[in-house]
Amino acid sequence: MDVLPSELKNPLVDLLLSVADDKFILGHRNADWTGLAPMLEEDIAFSSLAQDDLAHAMALYEMVGGLLGKRGDDVAYGRTAAEYRCCTLVELHDEFDWAVAIARQFLCDHYEQLRLARLADSAYTPLRQLAARLLAEERLAIGHADQWVVRLGRGTPESRTRIQSALDRLAPLCGGLFEPTGGVAALESTGVFPKSGGDMFDSWSNAIQNVVENATLRITLARPAPDAAGGRGGKHSEAFAALLDELAEVYRTEPGAAW
Amino acid sequence: MGLSKYRASIPEYRGDLPSPAEGDLKPYEVFIQLERGKPHTYAGSVDAADDQMALMFAREHFGRDQACAQLWVVPRSAIIRTDYERDLVFRLTDQDYRFAKGYPVGEKWKKFMSQKEYNDYKQGDIKDHF
Repeated sequence: MDVLPSELKNPLVDLLLSVADDKFILGHRNADWTGLAPMLEEDIAFSSLAQDDLAHAMALYEMVGGLLGKRGDDVAYGRTAAEYRCCTLVELHDEFDWAVAIARQFLCDHYEQLRLARLADSAYTPLRQLAARLLAEERLAIGHADQWVVRLGRGTPESRTRIQSALDRLAPLCGGLFEPTGGVAALESTGVFPKSGGDMFDSWSNAIQNVVENATLRITLARPAPDAAGGRGGKHSEAFAALLDELAEVYRTEPGAAW
Repeated sequence: MGLSKYRASIPEYRGDLPSPAEGDLKPYEVFIQLERGKPHTYAGSVDAADDQMALMFAREHFGRDQACAQLWVVPRSAIIRTDYERDLVFRLTDQDYRFAKGYPVGEKWKKFMSQKEYNDYKQGDIKDHF
């Protein structure tokens, strides 16, 4: 499928925005760590991985822009808070606790890998090609997050306590990752967002539990309620509006400006 | 252009700054290969807790800003080296004849290259075997 049937446009825009917004906000949160990560090498690595998230978001915003006849920048910055589709987990402020930043990255990246794998199997050719590239880079990000979870879990008593409490704090927010976007059933039945790879929650929680066990930690993951309504429907945490005001500050000064 | 406002809330440490666990980290030397088949060249070093961390750091430091085919990381302790003071690396006596200078081969080489046989050889199928 090279041209998207018009009735699938809005559902696909919604789905792509959920991916792009997750990456945009998470990338922004992680970029805040530049200069502050626990080691010089990790500082550069974490900033570099944050740039990957931003680059992925940008590529997806361009695709959404193409579907809507808008510029990618306008899609990224020119929306109200309620028009964003990111989940609560990425909005969370880590208060510069390294364990929280790592746990957030870990839980999100494993979900992102599964979502991108489905998109990389899409019947819609341009999306399939883009998702395949993003997926290859996502695997590097997962390797990074897994390593850190294991290191912190098997590290000092302090690192162990802190990563465990970060996992305890974030686990209840994970349901928001799985919240469906508007009209997703039509994308699934047409193969634009195929249901390949089995049950997403099972795959995700297995992957998470494997690493958590290896780290000698524990996490309780509950299957999300199918009718949960949150970030994917535009309901965001209080922190999000403030975060968006700051992110879009420069754009709003001169919306049409070229960079 | 400012940094995020959240950075105003960076926790302040009192007393001595916490230092990284230097005892846990080891230096690794990093080699990068820009194209398959080309030599790996020395790029620099990273400190890491183990091999996998070293490889991850090396990739983010040296593998991102240029096209790169492969990375090697080597624990510095694995490198067998000469001693600056104790070991003689270069010779002290005059052995200029070892250097490929002073031999007037330029003309001979040019003549050889212009031979028909050499040209035929270059164009022949045989070149594909090397």
